[in-house]
Amino acid sequence: MNDVVLDPLHASQHHQYLTFVLRDECFAVGIEAVKEIIEYSGVTAIPLMPDFVKGVLNLRGEVVPVIDLSLRFGKSVTQIQKRSCIIILEIPFEQHHVVLGVVVDAVNEVLDIEPHQIEAPPTFGAKIRAQFIKGVANIDEQFVILLHAEKVLSVEEMASIIENVIEQ
Amino acid sequence: MDMHEAQLLFINEAEELLDVMESCLLEVEAGDATIDAHIDAIFRAAHTIKGSAGLFGFDAIVAFTHSVESVLEQVRADKLEFTPALAELLLDCHRHMVQMIQSIADPELASDKNQGTKLLAALDVYLHPPKSDEPLTDTSQAPIPDDSGHWSIHIDYGREVFRDGMDPCSQLKFLQTLGQVDDVRVTADFSDGEFDPECCYLRLQMALISSADKQQIEEVFEFIQDSSKVTISAPKALVNKVQACAEDDARLGETLVNSGALTKRELEMALAEQRRALQENRQAEALGNMLIKQGAVDKSLVSAALSKQKNQEHKRPIDLQFLKVDARKLDNLIGLIGELVTAGAANELLIGQLAHEKLQESFAGMTLLVEQIRDAALGLRMVQIGESFGRLKRIVRDVSKELGKDINLEVLGAETELDKSMVEKLSDPLMHIVRNAIDHGIEPQDVRIYKGKPSQGQLCLNAYHEAGAVVIEITDDGAGLDPDRIRAKAIENGILDTDKQLSKEDIYKLIFEPGFSTASAITNLSGRGVGMDVVKRNIEELRGQISIASDINQGTRFRIRLPLTLAIIDGFEVTVGDAHLVIPVNMIQECLAFDAEALAVERDYLNLRGEVLPFVRVRDILKIPGQRLQREHVVVVQFGENRAGLVVETLLGELQAVIKPLNKMFRAIRGIGGSTVMGSGDIGFILDVPQLIEFTMHKESRQCAPASDKSEKEKHE
Repeated sequence: MNDVVLDPLHASQHHQYLTFVLRDECFAVGIEAVKEIIEYSGVTAIPLMPDFVKGVLNLRGEVVPVIDLSLRFGKSVTQIQKRSCIIILEIPFEQHHVVLGVVVDAVNEVLDIEPHQIEAPPTFGAKIRAQFIKGVANIDEQFVILLHAEKVLSVEEMASIIENVIEQ
Repeated sequence: MDMHEAQLLFINEAEELLDVMESCLLEVEAGDATIDAHIDAIFRAAHTIKGSAGLFGFDAIVAFTHSVESVLEQVRADKLEFTPALAELLLDCHRHMVQMIQSIADPELASDKNQGTKLLAALDVYLHPPKSDEPLTDTSQAPIPDDSGHWSIHIDYGREVFRDGMDPCSQLKFLQTLGQVDDVRVTADFSDGEFDPECCYLRLQMALISSADKQQIEEVFEFIQDSSKVTISAPKALVNKVQACAEDDARLGETLVNSGALTKRELEMALAEQRRALQENRQAEALGNMLIKQGAVDKSLVSAALSKQKNQEHKRPIDLQFLKVDARKLDNLIGLIGELVTAGAANELLIGQLAHEKLQESFAGMTLLVEQIRDAALGLRMVQIGESFGRLKRIVRDVSKELGKDINLEVLGAETELDKSMVEKLSDPLMHIVRNAIDHGIEPQDVRIYKGKPSQGQLCLNAYHEAGAVVIEITDDGAGLDPDRIRAKAIENGILDTDKQLSKEDIYKLIFEPGFSTASAITNLSGRGVGMDVVKRNIEELRGQISIASDINQGTRFRIRLPLTLAIIDGFEVTVGDAHLVIPVNMIQECLAFDAEALAVERDYLNLRGEVLPFVRVRDILKIPGQRLQREHVVVVQFGENRAGLVVETLLGELQAVIKPLNKMFRAIRGIGGSTVMGSGDIGFILDVPQLIEFTMHKESRQCAPASDKSEKEKHE
């Protein structure tokens, strides 16, 4: 009895994605990495940081860094609008999890995307580093780019970019 | 408690006991104490480790420690002289035991089996001396005091005794070292009706003729105390002694303990029973009656003691007592207090907006209490640095012996307190510095004599508090650092460009670069080019700084400055643009209005009552965007011997800042030591003043570098 209930639940958890909009494009991250979604406010800039670091946020006493995803992709700065949101994500790092926020233009919905719906990422044309992309899904005639959250928000890589900026 | 936790507890306990053993051995070896004063502690350490290791089935440890214990037993019984050679051997054994204990926690650190076998062979020589003329001392030669009667000992062994790794036979043997054992009667107790070959059904009754006191006799049975019933009755002859011992003001229990008729444990048991009775509002019995009831002492002894006792109330100094607490519980408490402080600040802000005097007053009272609680909680984590220094003593001894150098170690300020987690992280860097000082710093004896120095090298460890920081200095009177040699080496190793000019201090700092090593011959102690870079990294992780002062042929001094705590600080809040910054209060000397127009733009120093005060424009150095305000302030900060001004915009006042370390992502940030959540919910940044100044100096020296150097750099960029 239990098995019957648990199994589909487990399977569906595995294929759930949160979709969001960034500069008119639709992206998605696996739901298991998403901690919560909050509206954009109260971000304090950190001195000396490169632009892709928006600052830090007080999340109920915890100090959480906030990243501008668009700048991280090498595109232009995200304009803060009425629907702008911060998605709080948990990223594995050195046997622990770090909590990070990313700024997006709008959050859409949670979608079930089955593995067979996911196509390999285009080798070029997305204008985003290929290793950030897990695949592309065609949902209702619209392309959704599925992201590798732990690669996009690699603490190690971002730390070395920051290091280079400060050294100069 | 699961097995893993129990095992951790054992490792912890064993390490503490080994530390005790080591410091005792070192003191005896150095001649600071006699072996008689410490042998009990050393023996007990070995004995306890053996016992506990037996419970866990660490047979290798039991076997090795048993031999060590046997040798110690001989020393304790005055059958073996404690020679320097034996001290050396026991210290080696200690090291081996440490390795064995460590290998439990981390199987990769396997202990050296050959070393163990060698040590066992060496111990064996002491245990079975090659044919001596005298026969081994036995019981018949034990002194039999004439004026004492029989102690009567009755032992009802518990079922678990064998399984706990205890051996009744060895207890009897040890009893023989205290005196003459007579009339041993063995009975068995099979009342259970069942027989399990692994259980102990033994009952022993014996008489002992000895001048030892009850405490000593009871100690023989210390490890079976919990599982077995041991009754020791004092000889009647002790009455005289009790009467002689009873001082006018002593209490009954103490009199009996002092005269050796009662042990402290028995006394405490009786006292606890008395307290319990009082708490339950029962009529408490007199201590004497209770002791007799327990079977601890004979009635005649109690009356002898009572007859001497006067009825006087005295205040006794309370013994220092320690409580072992899980470190996580403490961290949790400190975390909660951090939240309390932040919540308090939020309330303060709201109360400030109400004009309610009484509320403000009562809140101020609470704030004061919160501050005290905070300080007390942080104090719980503080330990004396002496523990760390103790380990260094061993290293100095071992390394100097290995290198054949004669070195005197002086330790000052061992009682200086520091956060426990820092003491742990400090032990590696300190060890590296000390090893380096002995290996590379202090010259071999012949060289020292040639240079006209005393042949004995001096090494000094000093710790003290200074302006909210802890300073640790390691000073040697060795060869000193040679800037030219370091420079040449750095160029050779590709760390430094050939034409780069550096100040003496900057050259010294090169030794902290990864892959730098000047020792021409690589010894097995240091010189592998790892170590000093780790030293610097470890200290920076603790938000500390390290600096070097050195004179050729005079010596070298490493100076480590560390913040007192890692959790909560008293801060002073200022703003620059939109940024809220927190400066540690204990660094601030004064605040001045900054008169920008009176200063030329090209120079960044001002005249503070006749002294030059260089200052840092915080907005510029931290690249905070926005327009400079008309009115600015200078906060004068002092750290160590340095003084500087920080130009900021508004001064907001004092606050307690709970330090929240920044994400690892921001490890490259300079001048900011962490973040904090303020009462308003805004996030502020805690300035790391020494690092900020260093960053400024670094930047300025690059900007002012010779033209050729600069243009080259620009080409790169």
